[in-house]
Amino acid sequence: MHTKNCITLKDVTIGYHGNPILRDVNFSIKKGAFTVLVGPNGSGKTTMFKTILRLIPPVCGSVIYETGTHPKLGYVPQRMFLDEIYPFTAGEVVSMGTFGQIKPFCPISKPNRQLAEQCLKDVGLLEQKRQLFSQLSGGQKQRILIARALATEPEILLLDEPITGVDIFAQKMIMELISLLHKKHKLTVIMVTHEIHSIPQWVNELLWIHNNKLNLGSMAEMLSMFSEHKILFTV
Amino acid sequence: MEQLFEILSPHFLLKNTLYASLLVGLVCPQVGMFFMLRRMVLLGIALPQVSNAGIAFAFLLHSIGWHFLPHMESEKTMAMAGSIVFTLITIFTLSALERKGKGFTENRIGFTYAIAGAASILFVSWNPFGQSEVLSMLKGEILSVPDAYLWSMFAIYGIILIVLIGFHRNFILVSYDIDMATTIGKKVILWDVLLYLIIGIVISFGVMTVGALVIFGFLLIPAIAARMVARGIFLFCVVSSVIGVVAAFLGFYISYRFDLPTGPTDVALLCIILSLLFLGKMLIKTKKNSIIGN
Repeated sequence: MHTKNCITLKDVTIGYHGNPILRDVNFSIKKGAFTVLVGPNGSGKTTMFKTILRLIPPVCGSVIYETGTHPKLGYVPQRMFLDEIYPFTAGEVVSMGTFGQIKPFCPISKPNRQLAEQCLKDVGLLEQKRQLFSQLSGGQKQRILIARALATEPEILLLDEPITGVDIFAQKMIMELISLLHKKHKLTVIMVTHEIHSIPQWVNELLWIHNNKLNLGSMAEMLSMFSEHKILFTV
Repeated sequence: MEQLFEILSPHFLLKNTLYASLLVGLVCPQVGMFFMLRRMVLLGIALPQVSNAGIAFAFLLHSIGWHFLPHMESEKTMAMAGSIVFTLITIFTLSALERKGKGFTENRIGFTYAIAGAASILFVSWNPFGQSEVLSMLKGEILSVPDAYLWSMFAIYGIILIVLIGFHRNFILVSYDIDMATTIGKKVILWDVLLYLIIGIVISFGVMTVGALVIFGFLLIPAIAARMVARGIFLFCVVSSVIGVVAAFLGFYISYRFDLPTGPTDVALLCIILSLLFLGKMLIKTKKNSIIGN
């Protein structure tokens, strides 16, 4: 992990249409860190996540990226928000990650095709390339979405509830995959979850939204805070 | 067979009609698939109706002396302008309301369909002249496509097809995952506006040529049929246009051979293709299940 900050939120108030959800948010995420954003349903995790992604503007304050410009973000959405009416194959979903690099009227280039294949390999689903995305299991879909995010060649990987709604074995597999990718690609990872039992012990930082306040700290600091608040937490 | 050769002859009297039908069969499914994928099928019914209202309104204005070109040219130009203006205003208003996220989409589209249907009839009934002419245009003058109109249709539908193919990835991505599109730097609003513009133009032109029913049929049925059999978005696009072109050609041949109205024949044929594909899929599924059972 570097000592350099990657993203800084300065005096940020997050919310929708000018209605604040969380006020006075101040924190920085270090380059190469694995940060987990936790909190109960409806606490504002996804709003915070979308603010970091600049999908929604902050009500006030500023989101500063270390590069000054918009960094390459690998975004993994909640799979249930993607409509299954689209007849995509798994390979086509992963190829979407390369769309930012392909000019209109041009076919997908060989390097981009190879990149998509490599990403499929990285998540262990190359053999499912021609299967319909809608016919994959929940865990496989999640891994395909991670592969799609990797195909953007991101500096920061952002995952929105990647283990929600999948069985315990798939949860374990997904978490192992994310940690492997974090180490292999030296990615900065920001993950949102409300399933605190699945957070690995080695994460660098935890952002915990509790009672409309954001708490930031190391895993050990947060563990003690959780126990103070009698939050069930097993690792 | 004799009629088939007759149709394929370059000197065939109704060749413009055939070409216009094939063009509709080729391009409309490429637009219609976005209605299906974005779950806006009802809009595919309402917009042709709105286009009808625009045509009827333009005829009404024309008949009370509002025309800026000599009589004959003015009539069709005004009808086209009315169709495009009404369709575009409606599609952009509905999409703006959709983005605001207030109320229910189905309610808005239902309201649009009802008011457009009523307005079409009222505009026609208020028209003191040429009610039958207006009605025939609203039904779709598929049997008389003049050369100039066919060429303009070739130009417009051709440009639209090129734009849809060239920017296919952007249209698909902003439709499927707006957040992902934003994070990789796509200008979502720009692509949405362009797509709505294309939808508006295709419907306006199509309704003037083949009528609201036929346009609705070619927008949606090939896409629904292709969705059942295609594995992958690329194949889905190809198969939906192939179904559209085959139905347009066979529909024209059947209507010519048996002296039937072309538009309804085309739509009936599309429905038959859809039903056959559905039955075929069910049969394959049953067979597969019985093999697994054994």
